[in-house]
Amino acid sequence: MHRFFDSDFFYAFRRSPIAIVSLIVVVFMVLSALLANFIAPTNPFDAASLNLMNGFTAPMEPNAFTGETFLLGTDDQGRDLFSAILFGLRVSLFVGLMAVGLAMVLGVLLGLIAGYVGGWLDTLIMRLADIQMTFPSILIAMLIFGVARGLLPAELREEMAITVLILSIGLSEWVNFARTVRGSTMVEKEKEYVAAARLIGLNRWQIMLRHILPNVLGPVLVIATITLALAIIAEATLSFLGVGAPRTEPSLGTLIRIGQDFLFSGEWWILLFPALTLLALALSVNLFGDWLRDTLNPRLR
Amino acid sequence: MSFVVAKDLCRTFDLSEPWIVRKLTMQPKRLLKAVDHVNFEIERGTTYALVGESGSGKSTIANMVVGLMQPSAGSITIDGQNLGNASMNRQEQQRLRRRIQMVFQSPYASLNPRWKVGDILSEPMRAFNLIDGATAQRRRVAELLEQVGMSETDAGKFPHEFSGGQRQRISIARALASQPEVIICDEPTSALDVSVQAQVLNLLKSLQQDFGLTYLFITHDLAVVSTMANKIGVLNQGVLVEEQATVDLFSKPQQDYTKMLLSAAPKIEFSS
Ligand SMILES: Nc1ncnc2c1ncn2[C@@H]1O[C@H](COP(=O)(O)OP(=O)(O)OP(=O)(O)O)[C@@H](O)[C@H]1O
Ligand SMILES: [Mg+2]
Repeated sequence: MHRFFDSDFFYAFRRSPIAIVSLIVVVFMVLSALLANFIAPTNPFDAASLNLMNGFTAPMEPNAFTGETFLLGTDDQGRDLFSAILFGLRVSLFVGLMAVGLAMVLGVLLGLIAGYVGGWLDTLIMRLADIQMTFPSILIAMLIFGVARGLLPAELREEMAITVLILSIGLSEWVNFARTVRGSTMVEKEKEYVAAARLIGLNRWQIMLRHILPNVLGPVLVIATITLALAIIAEATLSFLGVGAPRTEPSLGTLIRIGQDFLFSGEWWILLFPALTLLALALSVNLFGDWLRDTLNPRLR
Repeated sequence: MSFVVAKDLCRTFDLSEPWIVRKLTMQPKRLLKAVDHVNFEIERGTTYALVGESGSGKSTIANMVVGLMQPSAGSITIDGQNLGNASMNRQEQQRLRRRIQMVFQSPYASLNPRWKVGDILSEPMRAFNLIDGATAQRRRVAELLEQVGMSETDAGKFPHEFSGGQRQRISIARALASQPEVIICDEPTSALDVSVQAQVLNLLKSLQQDFGLTYLFITHDLAVVSTMANKIGVLNQGVLVEEQATVDLFSKPQQDYTKMLLSAAPKIEFSS
């Protein structure tokens, strides 16, 4: 730990206001999402506690009927927007992180196999990656989402929506991981420590996972951070289009979709606050990822 | 029969363009004969040196002798056992692998930078089921480090914390961890300073005496070979052009190619 604070990395971090601010915003958001149960004044998912009379309360103004005040106002159903945003943030971050985790595991494994085994397997995996790269990943995600929904029985759709969302975003973002890992694997496998491992009779998987994997993980962290921003936006986009998180478990994207209906009738806050939260989250994750990339591995640019 | 026997060893590399490109441009196949009908035998407990210029096929032979690469033709037998024998089961393969280890050229690429020295040295023990239990393995690691002139505490460090010479010592210790009988050294000192070279060579020599090791020693440096080898084979473009006992080769080389190598080498002093 002491070594970390002395390192060039930490020095570069202290010198970069963008890195500091974006990290603070990210940490703040993650903490609020984790502690949503304690911070949120109401539980937005508890239909029984909602009072329709509270609907369309403007921020910081007492409601005309009940006299209650809400920090960020309420939506059409009288749901406290601040609470809804906290829980929405949680859904957005959860989907984003899980999707990136899936993309990372998949991409790293496929990249290792393509780079180490080579031959027709390499050709197959990389051509698949090429094809996928020619489509915008949101399109791929929508395709996978559509197929998965079609396969699921109707009564499970609502319940499985989040899982399907994670799967579709995860499967659409593995390519960058695979490409980078394949490249470094091809460099590593020619090194003599790999020959030494073959000499004692280790099999391919042992060599890939125990010897090569630790040596190709560096850039993966950077790609994961940048992909997290993409995944959060992809999730919001899907939910905004109505094919993502359901109304019963709204993400920031769902909240924005709901808010959009009231923008022109004067209830601007229902759209604005979720949108600002999403913007701050995606922007700071992305800025931090860019900074990480430039600092750790300028070659990836 | 000698301990290590290479018989009619050949290796060709296919340097041709992909099939489709070749057909379109009407090129013939391009094959490189990197090793061409090479024969040699190494007696148990002795050192056989292969010398030759860069690209003469030394590493290719080394890789075939340890089994990292398949010969295109010919065979290698170690203590009467054929290395390329496809009918061996996994257990028999492992038993043979344990007896043949290698020390590599690059002190930087030959140790996994993410592994601690202790883990690097104990891996062969686990792979060959030589020593069970963490404590026993740790004790053996300490013993190996001491045998190559390093200290027990080095086990907890990473490779980047050592100099080139020290890393080659760790590499040698890793080879010893398998308790091998043959060690192939592919230019183990060519990346090192001259002063360090001598230390590593002396270490290899004393280990040979202690454990009765058989060495196949590969180098392009005749000065190195004069102190190490019992017998020398001279390789030129994949062909073994001359083979003599060390003293004879230096005093009365037969081939023009060998004479050329000798005259190109810096002055050689015999120490043994
Ligand atoms: N995997 C390979 N594919 C194609 N050609 C190869 C391969 N390995 C070696 N060669 C070629 O075979 C020839 C012999 O190579 P080798 O590495 O055995 O030489 P060397 O004597 O060890 O040289 P050096 O002293 O530079 O290490 C060279 O011309 C080399 O280009
Ligand atoms: Mg070589």
